[in-house]
Amino acid sequence: MSTLIHATGLTKQYGNKLALDQVSFEIQQGAPVALVGPNGAGKTTLFSLLCGYILPTKGTLNIIGNNPGSSELFGKLSALPQDAQLDPRFSIAHQLAFYGQLQGLSNKQSHAEAIRVLELVGLADVAKQRSDDLSHGMRKRVTIGQALIGKPQIVMLDEATAGLDPIHAREVREVVANLSSEATFILSSHDLTELERLCSHVLHLDKGKLTEHPTHSDHNELESGFITLLLSEHYPDVEAKIQALAEVSKVYMSQAKEYVIEYQKTATPFDITILQHCYQQGWRYRQLVNGHTLENQIFKQEQI
Amino acid sequence: MTQIHPLRLLKIAQFELVRLFLTKRGLLAVAAFSICWLLILRYPIGQAVSLISSPQIADLAQQVFGAIGLSKLLDWPEAELAMYWLIALYSFPSFCLFLCSDQLVGDKQRGTLRFLSLRATRNEMLFGRFLGQVFILAALLLVTLVASVAVMVFRDPALLVSGITRSFILFFYLLIAVLPFIALMTLLNTFARSARLAVVLAVLFFAGGNIVVSILSWQIPMFAMLNNVFPGVQLDQMAGQNAGIFNSIGIALIQTTVMLAIAQRIFARSSL
Repeated sequence: MSTLIHATGLTKQYGNKLALDQVSFEIQQGAPVALVGPNGAGKTTLFSLLCGYILPTKGTLNIIGNNPGSSELFGKLSALPQDAQLDPRFSIAHQLAFYGQLQGLSNKQSHAEAIRVLELVGLADVAKQRSDDLSHGMRKRVTIGQALIGKPQIVMLDEATAGLDPIHAREVREVVANLSSEATFILSSHDLTELERLCSHVLHLDKGKLTEHPTHSDHNELESGFITLLLSEHYPDVEAKIQALAEVSKVYMSQAKEYVIEYQKTATPFDITILQHCYQQGWRYRQLVNGHTLENQIFKQEQI
Repeated sequence: MTQIHPLRLLKIAQFELVRLFLTKRGLLAVAAFSICWLLILRYPIGQAVSLISSPQIADLAQQVFGAIGLSKLLDWPEAELAMYWLIALYSFPSFCLFLCSDQLVGDKQRGTLRFLSLRATRNEMLFGRFLGQVFILAALLLVTLVASVAVMVFRDPALLVSGITRSFILFFYLLIAVLPFIALMTLLNTFARSARLAVVLAVLFFAGGNIVVSILSWQIPMFAMLNNVFPGVQLDQMAGQNAGIFNSIGIALIQTTVMLAIAQRIFARSSL
């Protein structure tokens, strides 16, 4: 696996406001990376730095061996910037083809490429329309299509599914999942379930500071483990009844109907034990997560 | 960020031509421009000969044109081109301020520049847009010149060859004359928040700037040199064909270079 992005001591200050504070991280080629954090945490600032839209106050940023904004990155790095819109005076296909030509495609190739990326986001039939004629969600999908022109190595999508209906949000997730073997996606979203589903590596920004979380951590070598159990209804004394299990060292309700259970590993897999326990108690469960949910990890982090 | 690839530069410039000639808003602007010029061609240019050469007003024209330094124009056999020259020399630069008011700012506000900046350097975007406006102005100058020559040839076909030769020279001088005006709008586009604000800033630059320079040069005459900062400072001399090569071309080219250099410095560091 090769390093695609390497940031060291990245700081961005807007007047007195510190948007990013000494952020350092590495992103390797491979599975999608999530960028999460509350509003105003610095996610869009980090995206803007990576795309070369703004310059850092301090620190260095190296993307595939180049500075952000370098012409060497054209066609290799693409992005969906938050709230950016296409020019409403031109047809969508015309603009996407123009972007393709700037990336080095011929006239004919660029038009075919425009249609290909529009097909990927399910909008080939509106190719001749202008962006003003489309709904908000369709405009968003067109701009996602714009980020897929050519064969980019890195695709950054800032709030890609925000404002999309569930069906189209799912389509976008499928596009990301299908293309993640060809390109490394960096996704920012407030939908943590979506990120958990797609990403193996999470960069968590809060108040300009960065922490990293693995979403599928391997706890095999540890003696204790965690299970997150989501029940479909409220049942009485759930915590006490789970605590009564021999392997359980700690249990607490993380949010309504959701319980985080810390257990000691034994010869019997604990997930089987807890499912049997649910059955014996007559509890209907909705979800069983091996470990902490991303939401709980981040919530805990922000509370510290 | 600072490189310029000729092909991308040209693509961006070409896209500006498409913006003017193939979009609804662009075509409306072209239509308005054409109607204005049809009126100009029909009246001042179409009747240039009778205005300039008629015995009744010839003496008056000689006195008036001589007083304002335009007497050389009366010697042109191509009277239509003399009238065209006077009108175009003053109208195109002013028209430029409006036509070129949205080179970058609209796309910057909409976020479209963010898509572009993933495929073109900032220099390519800045100079490509500038070049695109130069192409547009060149196209409009060419069309109006051809129409003026047509009006002239309709009156006297014998003037065709000399008219075409003079047209080339006029086209060259007019294009050079509008360059600093386009560059000024490029510069204002790097920091204005809207196209309208860019026009307002341009008007303030000319009006306010001239007042400031007048006051300064009234106190210390040496400050009159500051007039050279303003695009079009040489137009009065050019109008009467009284300007030397440096005044006709040099000042405009220096102003253009300086303004583009400042614009490049600002745009290279600005947030998109």
